[in-house]
Amino acid sequence: MAPPPPPQAGLIDDVTAEILLRLPPDEPEHLFRAALVCKPWLRILCDPAFLRRYRAHHRAPPLLGILHRLQVLQGDPPAEFASTTSMPDFPHPGSDGRRTRPLDCRHGRVLIHMFRDGGMDLLVWDPITGDRHVVPEPDIDWLVYTAAVFCAVDGCDHLDCHRGGAFGIVFVGTADRREIIKASVYSSETGAWSVPVSLDNGAEYYAQHRQDAIADERYYTPYVQPRRVALVGDDIYFTLRRGNTIIKYDRTHNCLSMIKPPSLDAGDCCICLMAMEDSSLGFACVEGSDLCLWSRKVNSKGAEWVQFGVMELKTRIHDCNEDYRMFAVSFAEGVGIIFLSTYVGLFTIEIKSGRVRKVGGPGGYYSVLPYMSFYTPNRGSLLSLARTH
Amino acid sequence: MASAGSGDEKAAAAAMITLISSDNEKFEVTEATATLSQTIRHMIEDGCTDGGVPLPNVTSKILARVIEYCKKHATAAAGEEGSSSSFSDAAFLEVDRAFLEELEEFDDAFLEVDRATLFDLILAANYLDIKGLLNLTCQKVADSVKGKTPEQIREMYNIVNDLTPEEEAEIRRETQWAFE
Repeated sequence: MAPPPPPQAGLIDDVTAEILLRLPPDEPEHLFRAALVCKPWLRILCDPAFLRRYRAHHRAPPLLGILHRLQVLQGDPPAEFASTTSMPDFPHPGSDGRRTRPLDCRHGRVLIHMFRDGGMDLLVWDPITGDRHVVPEPDIDWLVYTAAVFCAVDGCDHLDCHRGGAFGIVFVGTADRREIIKASVYSSETGAWSVPVSLDNGAEYYAQHRQDAIADERYYTPYVQPRRVALVGDDIYFTLRRGNTIIKYDRTHNCLSMIKPPSLDAGDCCICLMAMEDSSLGFACVEGSDLCLWSRKVNSKGAEWVQFGVMELKTRIHDCNEDYRMFAVSFAEGVGIIFLSTYVGLFTIEIKSGRVRKVGGPGGYYSVLPYMSFYTPNRGSLLSLARTH
Repeated sequence: MASAGSGDEKAAAAAMITLISSDNEKFEVTEATATLSQTIRHMIEDGCTDGGVPLPNVTSKILARVIEYCKKHATAAAGEEGSSSSFSDAAFLEVDRAFLEELEEFDDAFLEVDRATLFDLILAANYLDIKGLLNLTCQKVADSVKGKTPEQIREMYNIVNDLTPEEEAEIRRETQWAFE
């Protein structure tokens, strides 16, 4: 009997693509090494259709590195993008010695406050392509502030949306002297900031919050915490210094409102907001030596906070000085990673698996800005070689 | 989608299909087992399975393994259908978990094959369009490639390097971090 015909080259390519599709994106070196095996592999790894499938298969862009913010009195962190993979750091826009303050990383972009003589600009930077957009500051006379950058393309899956697409910025801050919270939105399409809106003293819960604060301290400035915000749908959530208070900026209705957190043993200034996979708002906080996870369930009767997870940290993070508190300092959405700042260093902890990894030395991490994006071999010599063969 | 009418369904579940390997060996399998393959499912839907289904790309050795996989996973699929939604009490969840663990053990043992067989299984899974088997086998190869140098990967899988030394040097210079 005749032997079966050898598989056709096309079939081999199909199967190779199936294998390469399953190389994990969290260490870009896997794809880059595979690209150097032979030209057929290189062609597949640079093929736009394959890369679309690759991103869809892995669902969420992996963590490539971090920037971070310090507390107001600590000044600004060094101008560096710290890679969390074997890749070198991306060159930071502030590496020329300018004073910079990173504010957010989201949808493949980094938002940095760039100080210059006589003023400041905001910079939206794409570390992978090197694209930079300078945006003027909004009309808010801020004292403390935070901001979010996000993709503004309708219906985008945010797997590869940073290549020149429309973006938006929300800037929220405590206005100087007037002691109110303001928010303004920038659109890259119109190139303009919206007229700032303020948190009305009559807003639900907020009047009471102010009254309680004034009763305690005689006067009250609602300090916005200079931390990474959570983006859930079209809403931006951020926290105030007092009482873990959460403020929501509703982009659709252009208004600010207050959300009460549950009462916690851990005290003030300890919650790290999270955008949950089910599109609800959540937060992480360390209570004692446990990492506690909460989620806000909204139903027809209203909203309630539900604790959905507790993770013991002592056995997971060794050498932790008992006298030094641990803090949840960020959440990387999509990959489900919480960052913990401890006496011995900065750690990531995966919610699903509980896997812990050290990603930085000891330091005053106040808010970590995780940068997630796919870094694939379709660039430079690899791409030109793939195209010529 | 698979059910034409409730009366036919039971008959279909018991119906047997004959698969014929490239070396002409015949395998009798239930339709539930065979239809884990989308390719065979389409052939059944088109009514072209009388007299057996010839599979000229699959040897008897590989087909036997593929059928072993499909049998196990067809049972698993049937079990999942039975226990889904209406039963969520602890006893059923316990059964589900035990079954999933058993399935995982089966998959691990199933992958204990030499590289040539693994590749033949991938080709067969791809040709027969069996998603679970394709995922399982391709993930195994991807895991073995992970962390290896290009030289090691070429050696493991007998791949000829068709890059010129100049091309290779240029890429290495540009993305040195990936090769350290």
